Amino acid sequence: MAPRRDTPFRSAEMSMVQLYVSNEIGREVVTALGELGLCQFRDLNADVSAFQRTFTQEIRRLDNVERQLRYFYAQMEKAGIPLRKLDLDAEKLASPSTSEIDELAERAQKLEQRISALNDSYETLKKREGDLTEWRWVLREAGSFFDRAHGNVDEIRASTDEQDDAPLLSDMEQATSAPDAERSFSGMNIGFVAGVINRDRVAAFERILWRTLRGNLYMNQSEIPEPLIDPTNNEAIQKNVFVIFAHGKEILSKIRKISESMGADVYNVDENSDLRREQIHEVNNRLEDVQNVLRNTQATLEAELTQISQSLAPWTVLIAKEKAVYSTLNMLSYDSARRTLIAEAWCPTNDMPLIRSTLQDVTNRAGLSVPSIVNEIKTSKKPPTYLKTNKFTEGFQTIVNAYGTATYQEVNPALPVIVTFPFLFAVMFGDLGHAIIMLTAALAMIYWEKSLKKVSFELFAMIFYGRYIALVMAVFSVFTGLMYNDIFSKSMTLWKSAWEYERPEHWSEGDALEAHLNPHGYRYPFGLDWAWHGTENNLLFTNSYKMKMSIILGWAHMTYSLCFSYINARHFKKPIDIWGNFIPGMIFFQSIFGYLVVCIIYKWSVDWQASGRNPPGLLNMLIYMFLQPGKLDERLYAGQEYVQSILLLLAFVQVPILLFLKPFYLRWENSKTRARGYRGLGETSRVSALDGDDETEALANGHGNSFDEDGGVAMISQDIDEDHEEFEFGEVMIHQIIHTIEFCLNCVSHTASYLRLWALSLAHQQLSVVLWDMTLGPCLARGGVLGVFMIVVGFYLWFFLTIAILVCMEGTSAMLHSLRLAWVESFSKFAEFAGWPFAPFSFSTLIEESEELKNYLE
Amino acid sequence: MAQGYSIVIGLLVIVALSAAAWFLSPKGENQVLWRSSLILAIVSCYLMWLITFLAQLHPLIAPRRSNLREEFVGHSI
Repeated sequence: MAPRRDTPFRSAEMSMVQLYVSNEIGREVVTALGELGLCQFRDLNADVSAFQRTFTQEIRRLDNVERQLRYFYAQMEKAGIPLRKLDLDAEKLASPSTSEIDELAERAQKLEQRISALNDSYETLKKREGDLTEWRWVLREAGSFFDRAHGNVDEIRASTDEQDDAPLLSDMEQATSAPDAERSFSGMNIGFVAGVINRDRVAAFERILWRTLRGNLYMNQSEIPEPLIDPTNNEAIQKNVFVIFAHGKEILSKIRKISESMGADVYNVDENSDLRREQIHEVNNRLEDVQNVLRNTQATLEAELTQISQSLAPWTVLIAKEKAVYSTLNMLSYDSARRTLIAEAWCPTNDMPLIRSTLQDVTNRAGLSVPSIVNEIKTSKKPPTYLKTNKFTEGFQTIVNAYGTATYQEVNPALPVIVTFPFLFAVMFGDLGHAIIMLTAALAMIYWEKSLKKVSFELFAMIFYGRYIALVMAVFSVFTGLMYNDIFSKSMTLWKSAWEYERPEHWSEGDALEAHLNPHGYRYPFGLDWAWHGTENNLLFTNSYKMKMSIILGWAHMTYSLCFSYINARHFKKPIDIWGNFIPGMIFFQSIFGYLVVCIIYKWSVDWQASGRNPPGLLNMLIYMFLQPGKLDERLYAGQEYVQSILLLLAFVQVPILLFLKPFYLRWENSKTRARGYRGLGETSRVSALDGDDETEALANGHGNSFDEDGGVAMISQDIDEDHEEFEFGEVMIHQIIHTIEFCLNCVSHTASYLRLWALSLAHQQLSVVLWDMTLGPCLARGGVLGVFMIVVGFYLWFFLTIAILVCMEGTSAMLHSLRLAWVESFSKFAEFAGWPFAPFSFSTLIEESEELKNYLE
Repeated sequence: MAQGYSIVIGLLVIVALSAAAWFLSPKGENQVLWRSSLILAIVSCYLMWLITFLAQLHPLIAPRRSNLREEFVGHSI
C-alpha cells in the first residue's frame, strides 16, 4: 500500500527505523540527519550513566572549547568590541570535518592562552599604573604639606618639649614665629608615614590610630580630587592622601602596620624637597612608560579580539552542533564485534526515502564499502505525533498544542480551529472600524515580516507570532462588523431600510413613534437594519437576535466537532465507537438542542402578526419539554406535544445505549477471542533494542545474531509491549459511565457556554457606544474655537482609547473566550489528546531554541 | 430585492462558492487545508448572514424612538 500523503488533516505516519551505520562514519551520518531534522533518536543506553557513555570524552573537549568561546565573548563585551553576528538565513555553514573541529579547538586553546596572557599583563600594568598614580599624588600632596609645615616646625617642637602628653592637634593654634624654620623634622626625631587610603575608611583609620597610639601622632590628610580606578574590578574609588607624623621607630612601624591592615598603601616620600622633586620626576617618567606599554597591550588585545569577533559566531554555532551530534551518538548502541553503530529512531514514513538517500550519500562520500542500512521495524509502541506546519498554520497549531498533543493520527484539531477560532472571535468583536484597525496591523506585520522577525521585544514577538491568526480574525471581524452594521458604534446606511415611519395624526416632534415594515416584503439584505440604530428598543431586538445566534452557532460548532469523532472512529477502525458513542451521542444532542435550533428558525420564519397567534417563548418551551412532557402552554406548531415527547424519549433512550453498549460489546469481543484460544501473553520476542527492560545485554547480542548472511536484515517480529493491558470490564465500565455523564451534562452546559458570544458582543458594542458618548460625541456638538479645540482633543482621546480598550483589551478578552470555546466546547467532542510530540534531532530547532546562541545570531 | 426567497439564492451562491473552493484549491499537501478552511469560512459566514436575515424577516417588535425629527417622518427611508 502506497503511504498516504501527509496532510494537515492528521499527524504524519511515523515509522520506527533501525540504522546500522559503520562506526567510522557515525559522526557524519548523525550530522547529515541533524541537517535533515527528521529523526527522533531513541536513547539505547538509558541505563548507562552520562559519564560512562562512548563519546563523553569528545563532549568534554567540546565543553572546554565552548567555555573558551564564551571567555572570548566576555572579553569582547568588556572591551566593547562588537560581534559580527551570524545571519543563518543568508549564510549557510558547511558541516565541518573532524580535523576542522580539532583545528578549531586547538586554535581556541592558543587564542585563549594569548588573550589571558595579554589580559594578565594588562592587569599587572594597570595595577602598576595605579600605584604610580597614587604615589604621585602622595608626593604632590605631602610635598605641599611639607612646604606649609616647615614654617611651623619650631612651634611644634616647643609644644612637644614643654608638655609631652598634650595632644598635638590642640596646640596648633598657638603658633608663634619660628626663626629656625629651616630645621628638619629628623632633627626632632619625628618620623612620618605617607600613603593613600580609601576615603570612606578615613574616619575609622583616624580613630584606630588615635586610640592605639594614645594620641601620639599628628595626622594630615587631603582628598585626591579625581577618583582612582581599581584595576581588579574597574571601579572608581575616592581616596585620600594622608601623612602621619609620630615619634620613634616603633610607633612608626606600628602606624605602618595599621595602615596596611586598613588597606592603605604606604609610599616612600622624601622629606627633602629637592629629593622629592627628583622623585616626582622619576615617578612621572615611569608612569609615562607604563602608560605607553599599557596602550600597546590594549591595542594588541583589541586587535586580537576584533579578529576573533569576525568568526566567533560561526565557531560557537559549529561547536554547539558538534556537541549535539556527540550527545546523539551517545544514545546509539555500539556493536564492538561488527564495529557498527545501531540507532533507533522515529521518522515520518513518507520521508524514509530521503533518509535512505542521505545515508547513501554519506556512505559514498566516505568511500566505505560497507553500506549503511535503514531498516523499518514494526512496533506496537505508540508513535509520536508529528504535525507539519507552515508559516500560516504554525500559530493555530501552537494554540492547539498549548492545550495538548493530539493522539497519533487522530483528526488534527487545528484544522477546524483555523476558521472557527477567528470566526467566533469575530462574532464577539464585530465592529467594522475596530476590525479595520486590526486588519491594518496584521497586514503591516505580514508585509514587513522579514524585518520585524528580528525584533526581540517579547510582547511584540508574541503578537508577531500570531500575525496570521490576527489576519484571519480581522477579516472575519470585517464581515461580522458589516453584519452587526457597526462601525465605531455607528451604523452605515448601505441599503434602503425596511422600516418607515408614518406620520400619525396629532404627532409632534418629541413624541414616541413606532416604525412600520414596508408593505412590499422588502427586507434589509445584508446585516442588521440601520433603522434599529439608536432606537429605544434597540437592545431588546439585538439581544434576542444575538442570543439566538449564539445558540445556533454553538450548536453548529458542536455538531461539526462531534462529526470528527465519527471520522476518528472510522480511521482507527473502532466501529463500536461509532455505534456506542457517536450515534447515540449525536441523537441525544440533536433531539434536544438540534430541536431547539429548528424551533428558533421556525419561529423566525413564521409571520406571527399575520397569523394572529401569540409567539411562544422558546426558553420556556424547552424547559417545559422536560418538566411536563406532553403538555403545552403555547403552541408553536401543530402536533408539537407528540414531537416533543418522542424526541424526549429518543434522547433518554440514548443514555443506556451510551452507558452499556460499548463496555458490553468489548467484553463480548474479548471473551470471543479468548474462546478461540488467543491469549494476551508476551510470547513473541522483542524487537526494539530499547524497550527499557533489563535485557539490554541480551538484546545487543540478539541484534548481532539477527544479521542474516544475505543482506543484514534484522529479524523482526511483532512485540507485545509493556502497555498492553489485560481487558478489565470494571475499568471500561467506569470509563464509559464517566464519559456518558460528562457528555450529557456537557451538552447542556456547553450550549449555555456559547451565550458568551452574545454577552461579549453586547459588551463590546455598548462599550464603544459609551466611549463615543464620553469623548468625541459631545465635542462634535460644540461650535466655535472651543469646538475646534475640543474636537482635536476629543478625537485623540477617543482614537487612542479605542485602540487601547476596544481593540487591544476587548480583542484579548474576546480571543480568550474564543480560545476557551475551541479548547473546551469543541475539542471535548472528538479529540483525545493522548499523544506525545515528535521532537526530531534537528540543528535548526537546536539553534532556534538555544538561549545562548541568541547572542550570536541575527 | 431581498425578499424571503433570498435565503435560497444565498444558499445557491454559497454552494457555488464552496464548489469553486473545492475544485480550485491548489493541489498538494495543503489542499485539504484550503478546502476545509474556505468551505468552513463560507458556510460560517452564510450561517451568520442567514441568522441575521431571518431575525429580521418577521420581527416581533418594531423600532421605536421619540427623538425623530420632523423631516424624517412620513417619508420612506
